[in-house]
Amino acid sequence: MLKELKDKYHKNNFQYILVDDLGVVLEQDHPILPTIIGEKIQDIHPFFEILTHLLTTVNESFEFSCINLDFNNQEPLVVDVTLKTHNNNNLVIIENLTKHYNNYQLTAQTRNESIINSQILVLKNEYLLEKETFKNNFIANFSHQLRNPITASTIFSDLLINSNLNDEQKNYLEIIQSANKDLKQRIEDILDISKIESGKLILVSKVFNLKELLKNIEVIYNYLASKKGLSFKLEIGEKVPTFIEGDQYRLKQILANLLTNALSYTSKGHLHIKVSHNHSRANKVNLHFEVEDTGCGIAEENLESIFDRFTKIETGEEQTGVGLGLAIVKYLISEMQGNIKVESKIDKGSTFIFNVSFKTSNYTQDQKEELLNNQLPELKQKYNILLVEDSEIIQLSILKILASTGLFFINIISDGEAVIPNLVDQKVDLILLSNTIQGYSASNISASIRSLSKEYKKTPIIVLSTQGYKDDIKRYKKNGINDVLVKPFDKHKLLESIKKHLK
Amino acid sequence: MTISKKIVLIGHFGVGKTSLIRRFVENTFTEDYKVTIGVHISKRTINISENEDISLIIWDLEGQDDIKKTRPSYLLGTNGFIYVFDLTRPVTFEHLNDELAFLKENFSTVPVKVVGNKVDLVNKIYLKEHSEQFDNVVDYFVSAKTGSRVEKLFAKLAQDLIQK
Ligand SMILES: Nc1nc2c(ncn2[C@@H]2O[C@H](COP(=O)(O)OP(=O)(O)OP(=O)(O)O)[C@@H](O)[C@H]2O)c(=O)[nH]1
Ligand SMILES: [Mg+2]
Repeated sequence: MLKELKDKYHKNNFQYILVDDLGVVLEQDHPILPTIIGEKIQDIHPFFEILTHLLTTVNESFEFSCINLDFNNQEPLVVDVTLKTHNNNNLVIIENLTKHYNNYQLTAQTRNESIINSQILVLKNEYLLEKETFKNNFIANFSHQLRNPITASTIFSDLLINSNLNDEQKNYLEIIQSANKDLKQRIEDILDISKIESGKLILVSKVFNLKELLKNIEVIYNYLASKKGLSFKLEIGEKVPTFIEGDQYRLKQILANLLTNALSYTSKGHLHIKVSHNHSRANKVNLHFEVEDTGCGIAEENLESIFDRFTKIETGEEQTGVGLGLAIVKYLISEMQGNIKVESKIDKGSTFIFNVSFKTSNYTQDQKEELLNNQLPELKQKYNILLVEDSEIIQLSILKILASTGLFFINIISDGEAVIPNLVDQKVDLILLSNTIQGYSASNISASIRSLSKEYKKTPIIVLSTQGYKDDIKRYKKNGINDVLVKPFDKHKLLESIKKHLK
Repeated sequence: MTISKKIVLIGHFGVGKTSLIRRFVENTFTEDYKVTIGVHISKRTINISENEDISLIIWDLEGQDDIKKTRPSYLLGTNGFIYVFDLTRPVTFEHLNDELAFLKENFSTVPVKVVGNKVDLVNKIYLKEHSEQFDNVVDYFVSAKTGSRVEKLFAKLAQDLIQK
């Protein structure tokens, strides 16, 4: 019984073929392959051509596994082939393993496809990343190049407004000034976004006077609101601390952004800003802010997307802003361990609600006092300023600002080589140094000044830079630079920095 | 007179070995990927000179990420190798030099053609960027899809085999 069964199943899977040394079929049993007695085995399929060389050996055994054989009008076969050579009586054994190998093929198919897909995904990601980096660098470089012309345009319009102009001219100039401001803001926003995306936007942590910051905001927006016929109110809760530690410029940026939006979307009613104390834990205080308007409101379907980049609320009316503002706000708030949300009703108004954390400790009484007495000193004598700048337009604008105060003697040079000789030749109280001098970096120039004799170690150096990245500023400070003014700067900032360092 | 020569295509899986052979033997191409297991053997006779034909017995091997995993019996009696990699997937040419060294060691007299396939998917800049890896190693950049340089590849290999 067993023998019968074995014969039955075994037989069906095996074919034994006897061939001579040339490959001519002499004998065969159960047919799996369409071999014909008297014909050469090489002729039924090109695989068997390999036998031609092997048949001449004697008493050798060769095994070939997983051979795919296609014949016309027959299901494709996958077989193992064994060759046992004897003088002119060579045995070819075919084992039909089609089913087994077909299963294996399915497994291999799934495995290979998933591996290849993951490799393609990795490639795609690398490619996208490269593109992203390129884009961010491009934006950063391009924005820097815009800074010199905008600085000049801002400074000259500021100078011009104080000259003898008739009303019409003044009107035109105010439009130019407002366009300048707008342009400056957009460039700042774009730079912020590119910094955020390349992970270069880092918040500073410094003690500051929160209430003073809020009061300043109140002054500005009260004025802007009243110009539009709106009322403005600032409410500061009882437990809100005066001094906290964090990034005051970024907090100001958040509030200014929300208020500017509120202002532009509101045509009647009020703007409210409320600040209250949420909770204090360890050395942290969590504050709650609300910016409320009675403007056109935001449709429910837009609430989710308003914090995305490049979305702008559609109102039918003309609006300002490129829509980067809220994306930046959201990022800054999350960097301050906070959240922002918005509640809004069409035609009733919107309220932006956020909370952020600040440090409370780590500052001394001295620091507090310094902050409270942060008024600029009045200068009592005339000072010598050396301006190293190769952009003529910036030279001219700085010259005008400094001249208008009547406090300074100014010497201007535009070439890096002349810096040291000029310093040695005459008394210099402060150096304004551009970072775009051909062939010289501001850091190098500063380092060589500091390496002169002792009397040059303390001369304040202020860099006028087109780059505002934290890395750059760090590098500047390391090379003995006292302050960095990022272009575009205005008259006030320039004078503030000069006066501070001449104190 | 017709002589026959055994040519073996090797390389990672999915690089296009089967596709190159189908382009050469049947002049067809499909975007579908059917994984080869074991080996498929096909044949095409080409005319070398006026009264000389060569019959190429082409062995299409299952792809391996390491040439040493190839079943030795498949390589018996090989007259020429075509080593195929995929230009779009660096993993398939990362260890190109090791793979070729293996062939040099074990089949020192057998000619090898090295081809970067799927050239239709990459541009000149990409090839330039990788020139350090490809220069002096790669014989042809080919495409089974467009057929670019496929005929040339086999013809040149056949020529080399005749001259030996
Ligand atoms: N665009 C393009 N795709 C190709 C080319 N050659 C092959 N492909 C595609 O690449 C995939 C794999 O091709 P195959 O020829 O099956 O690859 P293989 O090297 O035989 O793979 P294994 O049998 O697993 O070793 C298929 O989807 C083909 O359509 C080519 O030249 N250009
Ligand atoms: Mg294949």
